[in-house]
Amino acid sequence: MWKKLLTQRPNGVARPYPLMVWMLLGAALLALVMLSSLLIGAGDISPAAAWQALLGQGHEEANFVIRELRAPRTLLGLITGAALGCAGALMQTLARNPLAEPGLLGVSAGSAFAVTVALLLGASSTTLSVYVAQAGALAGCLIVLSAARLNGVGNDPIRLVLAGATLSSLLLALTSLLLMFDQRTADEIRFWITGSVAGRDLATLKELLPSLALAAVLTLLIIRPLAALALGETMATNLGHKPGRIRFVAVIVVALLVGAATAMAGPIIFVGLVVPFIARTLVGADIRRYLWLCLVIGPIILISADTFSRIIVAPAELPLGVLTAMIGAPVLLAVVRANRLPRL
Amino acid sequence: MQVLPFQHHSLPLKGFWVLKSPRQGISLLVNKRALVVNLCLMLALGLAGTLSLAAGSVPLSATEVWLALLGKGDPLHELVVRELRLVRVLAGIGTGAAFAVAGCLMQTLARNRLATPGIIGIDNAATAFAVASVVGVGSALAPPAMSIVGAILATTLIFALAGGSGTQGYRFIVVGLGVGAIAGAVTQLVLSWVAIDTANAAFPWTIGSLNARSPDTLLLLAAGLTLGGIWAATLVRGLQALRVSESLPITLGFNSKRLRTQSLIVAVGLTGVAVAVAGPVGMVALLGPEIARLLCRHRGIPLLSSALAGALIMVLADLLGRLLLAPLEIPVGIITAVVGSPYLLWMLLNPNFRNQP
Repeated sequence: MWKKLLTQRPNGVARPYPLMVWMLLGAALLALVMLSSLLIGAGDISPAAAWQALLGQGHEEANFVIRELRAPRTLLGLITGAALGCAGALMQTLARNPLAEPGLLGVSAGSAFAVTVALLLGASSTTLSVYVAQAGALAGCLIVLSAARLNGVGNDPIRLVLAGATLSSLLLALTSLLLMFDQRTADEIRFWITGSVAGRDLATLKELLPSLALAAVLTLLIIRPLAALALGETMATNLGHKPGRIRFVAVIVVALLVGAATAMAGPIIFVGLVVPFIARTLVGADIRRYLWLCLVIGPIILISADTFSRIIVAPAELPLGVLTAMIGAPVLLAVVRANRLPRL
Repeated sequence: MQVLPFQHHSLPLKGFWVLKSPRQGISLLVNKRALVVNLCLMLALGLAGTLSLAAGSVPLSATEVWLALLGKGDPLHELVVRELRLVRVLAGIGTGAAFAVAGCLMQTLARNRLATPGIIGIDNAATAFAVASVVGVGSALAPPAMSIVGAILATTLIFALAGGSGTQGYRFIVVGLGVGAIAGAVTQLVLSWVAIDTANAAFPWTIGSLNARSPDTLLLLAAGLTLGGIWAATLVRGLQALRVSESLPITLGFNSKRLRTQSLIVAVGLTGVAVAVAGPVGMVALLGPEIARLLCRHRGIPLLSSALAGALIMVLADLLGRLLLAPLEIPVGIITAVVGSPYLLWMLLNPNFRNQP
């Protein structure tokens, strides 16, 4: 009913989905979620004390917890969520498959595998992992998308997901095999490998800024051609775009985004599935519109999942991947159960 | 209309021996190829088992192993072989056979080679329940019972959710994937809920390992395997008809609904028992029947060959896991995943892939 009111004029003619309304609502919600992420935690700091610390009047301990622990975490959640949400949207448009998700299809697992190999070869975890993670994501992306272009696989969206999940589990098994070789590496990345935004160094973020900026520029450049590509290869060519080149750039962007997110927070699955799904439901299937909404919804989901992960098993913490799987798997079931899978 | 008289003549059966009792009352068809395959697999299993008993921090020769097994060897060797290593090898054989038989039944039932319990998430659910019971209840018998409950629940959920779409397509399997993901998350949730010691006790279940199994659970596994194996053997005739087409069992006078329910119960029960002992070593349920079908050239439903092949894979994978990084030990679940996933990928990406077993 409410959706009908928002999307149809009184005379029954469809009106454009109110993107701006949703963006404003999303931004308000995001601000709320970020605030609660700063205020709520497993420690002894009460929300009221945290609020005072935010205003600059708190005592020393509260100041430390807010500035040094919760603020970086929230910031990382913001950027990781936005990156994963956008990567999911781009990948789904690229594979023309509503189930194509970087985490599920093995892109994050490729990234994690590459980081593990690099650490095993003696790289230090603080300096090298960023670009290695992006290279690994690129490799995983290329494998899965070339599989999608194979005969028979591309026609069946669900078969591609199964293949991607298998690739993902293979890479995860290889990663844990490699970790057994080297205790030092294992200790270093054990927490990272389950996905979390806690206790990360903001230096990683600084290092990632150039590639994130590059990804943003490239996205703005290819978003119109991508929307044309969604209408079909022939249509895109007729409109003057080069499908091969668009795909190539989009793959690079996905790899940059997923690699950056994985370097920051470890492999987190299902976010790239849920975010575009919600965004498409709200503003329709045009990527030029719903990509903006992904930028807002991604952080909302990631930060609220992170906040919940702190309070569910307090004083311990739950790996973030557990919560995103709990949110994401039902969405996966909902998409798969639809009578006719939408072709993007 | 002319009614043809019923002609009694023996069909020329290539590749079978026909055994007949003198009074013509009973006759038996013996598949030559299956017989040879099964004998070879048993021989290989014996060899692999001996190797697995011999390898370890106290290396033994094959003769020493057999002497120790028969109770005539060195007391130290007897202790090592009979008390320490035998439980492990037997657990490997039992779980491998149980997984593979369950996989074979499931594949035939769903008429889909990909629909093994591990791939559709039943293993994960059984694991989640087993872990929850280890964490919650102290009894040694709780994990097997709970893992069977978990397997049944997951199966019901998957069939209910995939309801209208049938079991042949990929949709059914991705539903299982989703259910499996939820179950995996639940396992993690339970593990992070409890004290670190309890979590460590439950950890073997989450990756699949044959390390330090108690003889008690082994007895349970043996009982479950015997019961399930015999029950499955009585179902084979009906399932063979099901393999040809959905409606043939009804035409031949089988109770199709009961046949399906019973096969499903056996498959789920065997999976539950095997997970309770070894954790989710999912790929065995795919690889065992595939190897068996390949060796038997796709004739019938090779339950026995599947069981033997599954046991062989499990014992070999466990042996490999122990030798590869000795003295460190790689859980058997990781080895089977590394070996099995490429095969599954090849199945999925092969354009000429046939879904039906």
